[in-house]
Amino acid sequence: MQFQKEVEISAPREKVWQFIWDVDRFISCVPGCKDAKTIEEGKRYTATMVEKVGPFKVEFPTMIEVIEREELSRIKAQASGADNKIGSRMKVDLDVSLRTQDDKTILGFVAGVDILGKLAALGHGIIKRKADQVLDEFAQAVKQKLEGDS
Amino acid sequence: MLRRFRLEEPDSVAQVSELLGRFGDSAKVYAGGTELLLAMKEGLVRYERLINVKGLNGLSEVAVDNGTICIGALCTHRQLETSSMLQQKLPALVKLEQNVANVRVRQAGTIGGNLCFAEPHADPGTLLMALGAKMVAEKSSAKREIAAEEFFVDAYETSLEADEVLTEIRIPTPGANSRSAYLKFGYLERPSVGVALALTVNAGSISDTKIAVGCAGPAPRRVAEAEALFDGKGTQEAMRNLPAAGVIAGRAAEAISDLHGSQEYKEHIVGVLLKRAFQSLVS
Repeated sequence: MQFQKEVEISAPREKVWQFIWDVDRFISCVPGCKDAKTIEEGKRYTATMVEKVGPFKVEFPTMIEVIEREELSRIKAQASGADNKIGSRMKVDLDVSLRTQDDKTILGFVAGVDILGKLAALGHGIIKRKADQVLDEFAQAVKQKLEGDS
Repeated sequence: MLRRFRLEEPDSVAQVSELLGRFGDSAKVYAGGTELLLAMKEGLVRYERLINVKGLNGLSEVAVDNGTICIGALCTHRQLETSSMLQQKLPALVKLEQNVANVRVRQAGTIGGNLCFAEPHADPGTLLMALGAKMVAEKSSAKREIAAEEFFVDAYETSLEADEVLTEIRIPTPGANSRSAYLKFGYLERPSVGVALALTVNAGSISDTKIAVGCAGPAPRRVAEAEALFDGKGTQEAMRNLPAAGVIAGRAAEAISDLHGSQEYKEHIVGVLLKRAFQSLVS
């Protein structure tokens, strides 16, 4: 599943960039994400993703690895996790980009999300919709946090 | 494999509500089990306790009470498809029930279970919405009616509170000139689009139109905007408004692209089914 989102933030690019690397604040914007830990500064992190669709709950202990980093403009990361209780795995390839437009910053995400295992029985459409909602909420939360600060 | 769980056998709705309140997310109401047990066997959900409601009295009857058709939440689909009273008063519901899944599911599965599980591809909710149905929700201390439009919140989510139990579905008996239809499209047992239409035709003029769409999106949706294109119109004018109503209804379905078809395709099918439903009622 491919997702693409852009969010316009009324804050300078440096500030958005710093925010992304402030793991605790950044993770607090991801709905259902908790227990973020830095394993290796700027490179590897862990967190737990908890999501719910009606009675169906998943909990993915997730490893996040930063693969590429271009100062102030781009981050490429990969996240993967498995929920052994319900026998499902998740893999996310994330491409985050930053660019300046007038006095604003455009934060863009391209995410490739793969859900494997029993969870897929819920149906591709329902999972896609949920992932879309999570990304939307995340983008809005980032915007609010950064604009609220200025 | 089904994991071990405890089976609670309450004697009353109040007890079911009390158990739900006490055990929260670790307990689930169990009626026909046609959807719940499958999900549990697959390991998609885990419950420490199942609250068996099959033995509760008074929830498996179909009756007419003061102009309202009352369907007990424990009525099986089979009971509804073979009810002579429903055949006479709500033939569209009988036809829908005759085509729910397969006979094994219809024999065991209950209408209440179907509505509460809120599986996006389920049929009954969509027609019940067009029929102006209300769901009766009870808990230890209170009882309330929830309009079908407000009952379905999202995929697998209803507006029932954690300790509420669906006990009855109440449908206003349609008037002499009222008609309703439910049409669905899909292959195998999971419809990809379902459209329900109810309206009254009096001396060539249409009123009380209710349109609902389901299966294509996360939950059944009422389409009031499209209804306005029929209400107060003559049948010819309403016929001319069908394409526009179909487009509005298609959008309202919040269709999701999946293996059953793309969003655009499902939106198109909504329009086709709405047209066919209208033609079957007004001809």
